[in-house]
This record gives sequence, C-alpha cells and structure tokens, in this order.
Amino acid sequence: METLLEIKDLKVSFDTEEGKVEALDGVNLKVKEGEFHALIGETGCGKTVTGLTILGLLDNNAKIEKGQVLYKGIDLLKLNEKQLQQQIRGKEIAMIFQDPSTSLDPIFTIKEQMFEALDNNSDLTEEKKLNLIIEELKKVKLPDVEELLEKYPHQLSGGMKQRVMIAMMLSCRPSLLIADEPTTALDVSTQAQFLKVLEDLRKETKITAIYITHNLAVVSEICDTVSVMYAGRIVETASLREIFKNPQHPYTYKLLHSVLGVETKIEELQEIPGSVPRLINPPSGCRFHPRCEEADEICKIEVPRMVEISSEHFVACHKRVIE
Amino acid sequence: MKSYILRRILRALFTAFGVSLVAFMILHLAPGDPVKIMLGPYATEENVQALRARYNLDKPLHIQYLTWIKNIFKGELGTSIRYNRPVGELIKERLGPTLILTGSGLLVAVILGVLFGTLAALKKNSILDYLTTFQTMFWLSIPSFWLAIVLLYIFGLKLRWVPIAGMTSFSSTILPVLTIGLREQAWFARPMRAEMLEVLSQNYIKALKAKGVKYEKIVWKHAFKNALIPIITMIALQLPWIIGGAVVIEVVFSWGGMGSLLVGSVLSRDYQVVQTILLFISIAVVAANLLADILYSFIDPRIRTER
Ligand SMILES: Nc1ncnc2c1ncn2[C@@H]1O[C@H](COP(=O)(O)OP(=O)(O)OP(=O)(O)O)[C@@H](O)[C@H]1O
Ligand code: SF4
Ligand SMILES: [Mg+2]
Repeated sequence: METLLEIKDLKVSFDTEEGKVEALDGVNLKVKEGEFHALIGETGCGKTVTGLTILGLLDNNAKIEKGQVLYKGIDLLKLNEKQLQQQIRGKEIAMIFQDPSTSLDPIFTIKEQMFEALDNNSDLTEEKKLNLIIEELKKVKLPDVEELLEKYPHQLSGGMKQRVMIAMMLSCRPSLLIADEPTTALDVSTQAQFLKVLEDLRKETKITAIYITHNLAVVSEICDTVSVMYAGRIVETASLREIFKNPQHPYTYKLLHSVLGVETKIEELQEIPGSVPRLINPPSGCRFHPRCEEADEICKIEVPRMVEISSEHFVACHKRVIE
Repeated sequence: MKSYILRRILRALFTAFGVSLVAFMILHLAPGDPVKIMLGPYATEENVQALRARYNLDKPLHIQYLTWIKNIFKGELGTSIRYNRPVGELIKERLGPTLILTGSGLLVAVILGVLFGTLAALKKNSILDYLTTFQTMFWLSIPSFWLAIVLLYIFGLKLRWVPIAGMTSFSSTILPVLTIGLREQAWFARPMRAEMLEVLSQNYIKALKAKGVKYEKIVWKHAFKNALIPIITMIALQLPWIIGGAVVIEVVFSWGGMGSLLVGSVLSRDYQVVQTILLFISIAVVAANLLADILYSFIDPRIRTER
C-alpha cells in the first residue's frame, strides 16, 4: 500500500504565560492509503495537536519548529491559508472534532451548516446536495431528519451534534478523515452504528482514517495499525495484532497490560505509576524515563530513535534496539 | 419567543412608570420656586397665589402628579411658564433637531465603532490594532463639551469651514454629529474587538475551516454576526449617555433641540417643560431597550426558538 500521509520529525510548541509548551517533539507517523490508523495515548500527549497540525488549524500561539507533513507528496506545512482552504480542507482531509457541543455555529441552522460543507467541496445541484445531506444524516441514525435540518444547534443533544458533525465531515467525501474521539457523546448502539458507517464508507470509497481514541475496544474493532503516543512523541507503531500480542515499548506494554479487558478505556487504567509530565520543561532523553522500570542512564540523556524491529513494527526505546 | 417579548414589554411599562415618578419628584423636591422666579422679588403675595393656582401648583403633590399623567394621556402637556406656550408645541419644534443630532451621532458611532473593532480584531497586534486602542482611549479621556469647543474653535472660528452656531445648513450638523460620533464609537470599538476575538477563538470557527469554508465567509457571515449580537444590547445601554451628552453639545453648538430647551427650562424652574422632556427622554431610552431586546430575539435563535 502507498503512503498517503507521512509526518516527519514534527516539532510543535505553544507560547503560554507559564512558558513554552513542547507539545510535539519529533513526531514520526506514516499513514497508508486505505488503512485505519489508531492514535492512542493518555490525555495531553498531543493527539489532537497532531491532527490540527495536519490541517493547519493550530491556535495562534502555536509554532511549528520543524518537520514535514507530506500528504500525497506535498508538504502541507508549506501551503498558505488560501491553498489549504481551496485544495485540502474538506476536499482531501476532513476532521471530526473532539468536542461536538461547541463545533457548530449557534446562530445558523443545521441545514445551512451542512450545505456549507458541500458548497465548498462538490458541484452537485442544490437538489442533489439536499438529498445527499439527508442521506448522510440518516446514515448516522438521526431521527426526523427533515425537521432536524431546520433546527439550531442548541436544540440538539450532545450526541445529536456529534452525529451531525460526523455526517457533515463525511458528506465532504474526504480521502483522509481525522476522527478525534468521534464517539465520546454517543451511546453504545449509536457508536456501533457509526463504526458501521465507517466500515461501509471504507468499502465504497477506500477512505483512510486517523482514529484518535481512548477506547481500545473500538481500536481492536476497526483499526489496522496502531500508533502509541507519549508526551509529544510516537513511541510505537505496529499492526493491530502486533500491538496487542507483542507490545515492545514499556509504555505500550503497561498501557495494554494494565487493561483487564479490551473494554476498558485508557483513562480508567491509571495503574501506571506517575502521570504524563507537563510539557513545559519535559523530562530529558526518553520522556518516559521517570515512570519506566527499565530506565537506564542512557535513557535520561539520549532521545531514543524510532527503529524497525520486525517488519512494520517500529519502536522508540533504547532497550529494544537489536544490536 | 412570544412570552419573552411579552415579559420585556411588561418590564418596559413598569420602568416607564418608575421614571415618570422620578422625573416628577426630582424637580418638585428641588429648591427654588418657579412662580417667584417668574414674578421677580417684588411680587405681591396675591399675584403669587393666583399664578400658583393657574398652574396647579397649590395642590398636593400626588394630585399634581396624577393630573399631569392624566393630561399626558389626553395630549395636554401643560403650559410653559417661561414661554407662556403649550409644552407640546415647544417640544414638537425641538424634537426634530434632537432626533437628527442623536440619531446621526449614534449611527456614525455604531458604524465607526463596529468597523474599527472588527478590523482591530482581524489584524490583532498590528499597527491598526494599536492605533484603534490609542484612538479609543483618546476620545474616551476627553470630555465631550471640551471636544465640542475645540472642534468649534478649529473648524468654525479659525478655518471657517462650518458655521459656528445654529442649525442653518447641512454643514452646521457636521461638527455636533462628529462630536458625538467620535466619542461614542470608542465605546463600541473596544467591546466589538473583544467579542470578535472571542468568537474567532471558538471551536466552531475551527470546524468551519476544517470543512473548507472561505476565510472571508467565516469572518463576515459567521464571526461578525455572532460578535454583533451582544453589541446590540450595548447600543441600547449606551443610548442614555448619548442623549445626556447631546444636551451639553446642543448648548455648545446653539443647537435648537430639546437639550438646550431642557437646560434653559431647568435654570428657570419651568416645571412643566422639564418634567415632560425628562419623561420623553426616559421613555425613549426604555423604548430603545425594548427594541434592542426584541431585535436581539430575532437575531439570536437561542431566544427566538424559546417557547
Ligand atoms: N493552544 C494551546 N496552548 C497551550 N498549550 C496547548 C494548546 N493546545 C494544546 N496544548 C498542550 O499541548 C499538549 C497536547 O494537547 P492535546 O490536546 O493534543 O492532547 P490530547 O492527546 O489530544 O489529549 P486528550 O486525550 O485529552 O484530548 C497538552 O499539554 C496541552 O496542554
Ligand atoms: S528508552 Fe529507556 S526509559 Fe524510555 S522506555 Fe525505553 S527503557 Fe524506558
Ligand atoms: Mg485531544
């Protein structure tokens, strides 16, 4: 499979009153065409920042220090706002945001906002657009769609807003979907429905997805590849099978093995001693070393590089380098 | 929404009653006897009594108030002691000029304020932004009568671009309107900038970008409209200050409106006129607030869809 998106040595920091937050520190990520790539890790490790960087949507206080985001060979970080808007956002890459309750403009109807997504990304007739919108909304199991279209965001529940956002972003028919915790506000059955929509879409259109989540059950259900993030770096990338059967990085191991069953969510398993370090003055060397039982002198000094330890299994840990 | 509007109307009526009472009381409790001012220090007691009776001033206060209100509803606003003419007539003459002055002043202020505020937010931390901060601070820190006099001195007296007094032509309206507009726009520019920045940092702006909506559309269709909603209320809240400020400006520019009539009437204790003007102004403010509330409810769907 061809690589659709490749992030190379991405470094992003934020200027804040307390100091510089080194949110991403050398992120390397390869997403292949057609795959569902899970991005997991504890809260604050930089998953959302990674997604926002791809689309050029970082806040004003963000600074991209170095790195590349190659999409179909083009470095997205080199495109200006206008090029991103005309060529990339919506059309090529769409993103479902983590917080559905604030993702819709309060003073416009759902219909208006659904249309906007299409107006920018397709040249169907108005009538066909409306049909497509209704179809998309029905797919995510929203009831009374015709009525819903005339409603305003505050008249919808959190779960309904999230489904509207999902339908809106999917109606753009992007090649790459970044889904940031897309099911937090959904109940279990609606969540299952959404996963089915994704599966169907995948068969139909070969959509690629970066799926950011805390929910390992979802990961094991629909993802092919898993990348584990820790404090602004990707520490391990492998196929779903490999990650669960043969985790290499001490952090991944703890993350998965403190799990009693795959049903558990990552927040619930704070059995890993210590917590994610604050990213102002993060630990030197391997950022996991204060919490790692295998840590060594070298771990405190040198940042471990990502190495391939078996086919398609990458890990960044000094103790896993085969000499 | 109906119940919302009904609630607002009831509240407005209640407020109107309150202000009418206050307008009445302030003057009657203030020292100074209008009849004595009118007749001079050598008037006989008889004459004073006769005049009192003629203007109803010999009755108890509550009767005077009720009579006044009753007459207002009948369209009889009383007689001015100073001019010896019906108050209604006097106000009718003066209403037009005042409406022109405050109306245009407000319009200029809102347009300039909203424009400067929006541009400052869009070009945050640019020269334009700093200039906006500076100019708003500048206008807010100088008293309006002083500004009026300085403008009059420069453009009227020295440059002779505009007449120095009166309401003779279009050019004579420029300075008074500008005095109000320049100062009041500062009140709108700063909150507009803050609102705009606040809205632009919202998640839904990010979501709009994520689906590929044009920047111009995001700014003017989404951000601008959202930011404007709270400004509408601000305009209504600012109205009393604009009207109050206009009184002074009318005097400086010899503008024949209600403001200069009010000042003259206060000085000569012309009760009927003062009362009526105060009531007029208060009712105008209450009405403006009501209008803002109603407008608000049409613009903001969060209120419009409320049952
Ligand atoms: N605008 C910002 N200003 C300052 N710091 C920020 C900003 N946005 C993100 N950060 C910091 O960057 C780090 C990564 O944040 P991010 O939102 O990517 O975490 P996350 O992995 O998505 O967490 P969660 O699972 O809670 O969504 C955090 O330490 C966060 O505090
Ligand atoms: S590099 Fe060292 S500290 Fe980091 S995970 Fe590996 S062993 Fe632990
Ligand atoms: Mg996040």
